[in-house]
Amino acid sequence: MEKIKHLYGRAGFGLSIGEWEQKRKLSVSQAVNELFTKALATPPLSPPNDPDVEGFLQMSEKDKAESRKKERRLVVLQSAAWIKRMSDEKESPLLERMTLFWHGHFACQSKTSAMAGNQLNTIRKHALGNFRELVLAIAKDPSMIRFLNNQQNRKQKPNENFARELMELFTIGRGNYTEKDIKEAARAFTGWSSTAKGEFIFRARVHDYGQKTFFGKSGRFDGTDIIDMILEKKETAQFIVRKIYRYFVNEDINEKHVQQLSNSFYASDYDIAKLMQSIFLSDWFYETKNRGSKIKSPVDLVAGMMKNLHIEFENELALVFLQRSLGQSLFNPPNVAGWPGNRSWVDNSTLMIRLNLPAYLFNSKEVNFKLKEEFEAKRQNKITRRLTAKVDLNPIFTQVIGKDIEEQVDYLSTYLLPNSGKIPMPLFKRITRGKSEEDTTRLVLLGLMSMPEYQMC
Amino acid sequence: MASTSILVPAFLKAYQPANLLNSRSGKILVIVQLSGGNDGLNTVIPYRNDIYYQQRPTLAVQKNEVLQVSDQLGLNPVLSPLQSLYDNGLLSIVNNVGYPNPDRSHFRSMDIWQTASESNEYLSTGWLGRYLDSSCQGCEAAHHALEVDDELSLALKGQQKKGFAMSNPQQLKRQTNNPLLKHLAGQDHHEHEENVAYLYKIMADTYSSADYLSEKAKTHSSKMTYPASAFGKRLKQVAELISADTDTRIYYVSLSGFDTHVNQKNQQERLLKQYAEGMSAFVKDLKQNKLLDDTLIMTFSEFGRRVKQNASRGTDHGTANNLFLIGGKLKRPGFFNEGPNLSTLDKGDLIYKVDFRDIYATILDKWLEGNSKQVLNKSFQGLNLV
Repeated sequence: MEKIKHLYGRAGFGLSIGEWEQKRKLSVSQAVNELFTKALATPPLSPPNDPDVEGFLQMSEKDKAESRKKERRLVVLQSAAWIKRMSDEKESPLLERMTLFWHGHFACQSKTSAMAGNQLNTIRKHALGNFRELVLAIAKDPSMIRFLNNQQNRKQKPNENFARELMELFTIGRGNYTEKDIKEAARAFTGWSSTAKGEFIFRARVHDYGQKTFFGKSGRFDGTDIIDMILEKKETAQFIVRKIYRYFVNEDINEKHVQQLSNSFYASDYDIAKLMQSIFLSDWFYETKNRGSKIKSPVDLVAGMMKNLHIEFENELALVFLQRSLGQSLFNPPNVAGWPGNRSWVDNSTLMIRLNLPAYLFNSKEVNFKLKEEFEAKRQNKITRRLTAKVDLNPIFTQVIGKDIEEQVDYLSTYLLPNSGKIPMPLFKRITRGKSEEDTTRLVLLGLMSMPEYQMC
Repeated sequence: MASTSILVPAFLKAYQPANLLNSRSGKILVIVQLSGGNDGLNTVIPYRNDIYYQQRPTLAVQKNEVLQVSDQLGLNPVLSPLQSLYDNGLLSIVNNVGYPNPDRSHFRSMDIWQTASESNEYLSTGWLGRYLDSSCQGCEAAHHALEVDDELSLALKGQQKKGFAMSNPQQLKRQTNNPLLKHLAGQDHHEHEENVAYLYKIMADTYSSADYLSEKAKTHSSKMTYPASAFGKRLKQVAELISADTDTRIYYVSLSGFDTHVNQKNQQERLLKQYAEGMSAFVKDLKQNKLLDDTLIMTFSEFGRRVKQNASRGTDHGTANNLFLIGGKLKRPGFFNEGPNLSTLDKGDLIYKVDFRDIYATILDKWLEGNSKQVLNKSFQGLNLV
């Protein structure tokens, strides 16, 4: 039962109470099987609308600025829709989780909704597929091409930005290549560009077809060759596995596990699904030290809470406010290195919002927090701070009806908290004394979700 | 992540009413961040330079309007409250501050300034956060570095220690008056898993600091008139806390809106006026309380703007910029170095002469008694500023 909770916390975004009742009885292999079956059967998202490029080009500067603003708004609305998908019982939690992981790995700020949507679909398509294909698809992704200046990478004047991050952050990691390798790789990616409409285009005229020397080998390499040569190195499998291990298992790396996983990841020619399966099916994944040791990211916390309480926000922008105030805005990572995660999520300000969040939600209150002004902002932004939401507790009431306070606390803490924490039972008894049955449950939920332990998974 | 080194006994103390007698030992640093990229060329004006007037036909500040504090450089007239600081040796202006391979994205360049990284290096800790981590002696309290804001900037986040964000004590009280949390904050958390214990510690610290800061905020009420803006209120808050001998050595305040691509003049001058009036009140306030010699104020922006104005009577993102130091103990008041060279540009942008990290190193070593090499992961010579 604790294992199932752990699995769904890490491979997904937790469980609704209905799912919990149903899945807690499964064996690990049944549950893993179910997760993968559903992920692989999930269809792609519908592609975003094509942008009106001609129309944009004819606009005045002022209208262009307006249009860019509108696009930014559409991007943030996409982020809200994504969080809803993470919390939606009908969707595949594993697919959304893997997509979120790669979104943080291939960190990229998207300027238009079409480019954000297309990139998300690309990542989603390969999230459990082959890492080689994923890297290649990212190298051809217009949003990434623009973000890392490959648009400006031309034979006459190479721009190294993409080539550098490809190696440093996306594949093999520092210490495994030289500055010369970066320069040569950049030449191989010259001409990998995007059209005004936001589609990949190979501009042969600015591509450098000359001889390059990369990792000690010489040839007329192009970008695909470079990616192949990077993936030929075992260090790449190790780098990726370490990152996955830190994200899914524990910040504290067990070298033996990482070594085994890297070897088989490499042997499988970078099959992501196989790698994830072997993690979730291993015994060590479920060891006590790996359970409840991870601080939820803001998106994890919010999506999980939405699942737990069947939350529907009246205004979608509440989800935008939460992302920003808690420090994780999708499609807008801090830089190409992604979100540093774990303890860096938490300071006095973000922690107090996190801990007060259940109280804000139960009472549809306004959050006591103002966002920093945007660089260009002239007035306080209009993003709502009021978290007006429908919280549906009926599925929980059904499960705890007739239980006394101790049984309720016991049942709900097992459901909500990893390793069930050290519950201050006298406090729960005190605050629920003389309350109706439903209010008692409400207060127990509020109390448990306000505990720092609820921040963990 | 170094997760074990933090498990020192002090780490395990649960929330207790703070020791209200704690007071400051050592110098105070106040950082003022101008967000959005303040146009340095219309702040400190090269009023004898023809190129300036050629490049900015409608945006340049006319010679006769400039406050001509030196024979080459002058101040924007809205900065007149700063003139007496300049005249009294309380202001140093460092020109041409920047870093190699400048980045013109707000977010990225701000991160570079806040983390003190190279321009192609990504750090997840800030320079003041690393100072708290590595070389700040006796600064266990969370509010040792205080940002007057709801949100904590990266500059103040270290690996193990972090600064504290509070826009005002009443606001902080509202966040901490949840009775459930108050009870949990008092819980002993010896037996928790490390990361859970970390959360309990931050929670306990928040409660301690909330008590302490709201007590301190009551002790001293400033009589000085500050601008009525949010920025003015924040500066006043800082002055009151400093005057109350609060156990805080680093304060961080921001003023934003400097991204002036369109119709720059009004917007920039409105903000600069707020800034100058705020600083002037702040300095008078500290001086009255004999605290100016203990205080150093550094004002920076993530980049300057291009030399040439754009087609919308504004300016676009640029590179090197000027930086202000204000305080009673400046080694080189007035202009620290020459103004920008407008005839040698890098694709229309100013070329930096002073690496901002040399200024940080000076502040860390000379003012905060820290170790700049540890904090900046590199050796910087420092400058003769304080």
